[in-house]
Amino acid sequence: MNSFWRIFSLEFTAFVRSKSLAMLLAASVAWMFVAPIVFGGDGTEEGARQLTVHYSLGGVAALLSVVLLSSATGSIAAERASRRLQLTLVRPVRYTSIVIAKTAALTFAGAIVLAAAACVELVRQPLSRPCRHVLSPVLPTPQEEARAMYEAFVNDPSTSDAIKKTKKSVVLRFLAQRAFDRYETVGTNETAVWSFALPRDMALGAGAMSGMCARLRFTNDYDMRQDVRGWLAFDDGESLWSGCVSNITKAVVEVPLAASPADGERTPGALSFRNEGKSGLMLRPRRDVNLLVRADGFGWNLLRAYFELVAVFALLVSFGMFLGSALGRPVALFAAIAALVVSEMSPSVIEQYPDELEKDAIDAIGLHITRAVAAMTHPVSSIEPMAKLAEDTCVERREVVRVLVADMLLAPLVFAFLSSLVMPRKTYD
Amino acid sequence: MNGDSVISIEGATKTFRDFWLRPTVNAVDGLSLEVRKGEVFGLLGPNGSGKSTTIKLILGLLAPTLGRISVFGLSPRAVAARAKIGYLPELSYLHPFLTARETIMYYAGLCNLSRSVAAERTRELLKMVKLEDVSNRVVSGFSKGMARRVALASALVGKPELLILDEPTSGLDPVSTKEVKTLVKALAKNGMTVLMTSHLLADAEDVCDRVMILDRGKSVAEGRVAELGESLEEFFLAKVGNADEFVLADFLA
Repeated sequence: MNSFWRIFSLEFTAFVRSKSLAMLLAASVAWMFVAPIVFGGDGTEEGARQLTVHYSLGGVAALLSVVLLSSATGSIAAERASRRLQLTLVRPVRYTSIVIAKTAALTFAGAIVLAAAACVELVRQPLSRPCRHVLSPVLPTPQEEARAMYEAFVNDPSTSDAIKKTKKSVVLRFLAQRAFDRYETVGTNETAVWSFALPRDMALGAGAMSGMCARLRFTNDYDMRQDVRGWLAFDDGESLWSGCVSNITKAVVEVPLAASPADGERTPGALSFRNEGKSGLMLRPRRDVNLLVRADGFGWNLLRAYFELVAVFALLVSFGMFLGSALGRPVALFAAIAALVVSEMSPSVIEQYPDELEKDAIDAIGLHITRAVAAMTHPVSSIEPMAKLAEDTCVERREVVRVLVADMLLAPLVFAFLSSLVMPRKTYD
Repeated sequence: MNGDSVISIEGATKTFRDFWLRPTVNAVDGLSLEVRKGEVFGLLGPNGSGKSTTIKLILGLLAPTLGRISVFGLSPRAVAARAKIGYLPELSYLHPFLTARETIMYYAGLCNLSRSVAAERTRELLKMVKLEDVSNRVVSGFSKGMARRVALASALVGKPELLILDEPTSGLDPVSTKEVKTLVKALAKNGMTVLMTSHLLADAEDVCDRVMILDRGKSVAEGRVAELGESLEEFFLAKVGNADEFVLADFLA
């Protein structure tokens, strides 16, 4: 443990005495004040606030990600090149301890800079401004729905022979994507019902449920807006909450729900929408229907987003350390940035090319690689703390715990173990 | 390997390979040697003879392509073996932003010494290498000789049982060179085993109990200094080349 703290201290001291920490602090705090001027907003108070939060703190997080990744690739690779690393390797220290201590030190440095930027944000945003839990309907997973659709789909005469000859797993993936985007039609004077599961801490009666909204997105990919009229009602098991949708012009509507007298048959956890407009409406339940329930304030939400970002820093740093252990610094840095770009782009590439039914082998290989990268980086790419913070969407505690365990604990341990296997195999000439 | 053996190398070969894994050079070729407890053993040879590669094999920084190496009866990479070794590399390789005191404290920490013990030991070593007055200056401003003394103190901070010195007098003035030699003798007298490399034959003659002469990765002679002839230099030149080549090699080193 003594050696762990010595290496931690050395790495952190190097970051401080090379003035990297001071420069990063100055640049980050300056950006927190410059960003609101650069990104003025869309003329509304809410738009200005969202852009400010997203780009100021998000910009600092992006800067830190790049700097920490670069420092991590250099930490071991540059020490090896300067031959200082061999003086540590010949001491009675486990190789994994060296990597973990260095990872912890750089992550700690990043956490300090991010904390300074977060403090600026805390000062200019009201701490008590509430954020909201965003709940989605309880539905079978797209994969379950795809499996249920499979037999009917391949036996359908209109399904092309090319698809019928394709591997089952590919067709299932294609159907899962289709299930995710599946539209549901609500005809005139018809009622659609979606079931929601309220987390235990939310099901606390009228006090906790006040300020609840239903969010509906009456739009498709071509942004066609419709005239919508109808009634929304939600039954939380104790009270009935309802709201009216009338003649909207926005693509996304948030309908505040108010307590109303309950009569007739009760279905706890059900959100219903009765279409009283002139035409039928289409929406995708997995994308377009949400229940927004009041959560705690901006301060707590910022704290949770902060922990998620620090966990992502730990993941990036440990990945950089691993690359630096295995490769020379320029190659490690190039590989790290390439991996970062591919992981950022992979979800949109997969969405653009959802199946590999085409014949081109190169396309198929590219898609396989992209899909593998997307699957590996999903735990990181699927969290969007900055977007949630800007939109006052609650960064859920469960998600924070998952990210902390996966990105701040398991991934660094795995990368440290891999680094410890690679480090002694390098040539120390 | 007998009970007194600290380092045991049996038929070690180290072949370096290029990117395509094609062998490029046998830096060490079928080397066998044994260093016993309490002796000062010298590895001598011209540049490129495999001295530093042999040391890196003993330290576990390189793995042998063939053969077997043990240090204190353990793999050189075992933490327990590394706990007993102090190493002074050919160049000091100090962290430029640390002070002399912090550098020694850092390596004391890596040897798992507690903070108070490390501080006491650092004070003693700074006094021994005569750097007390500049102990709070960053080492990037140090001369080569001062940096060398910091590196030597760092090698000794864990009270090692085996001290490996790669060209220990390199960069030192004559007075400091004499002090290092005196120190090596004193350490050996106290029971420490010392393995040192040098291309300055006078150094080896002064301090080594036994020497091995390497040429192109192979041992060409091994024995007690007195047994190898009246003048080690003459013996060395007879084994590894003529005098002109040696002088040129020394000049270029």
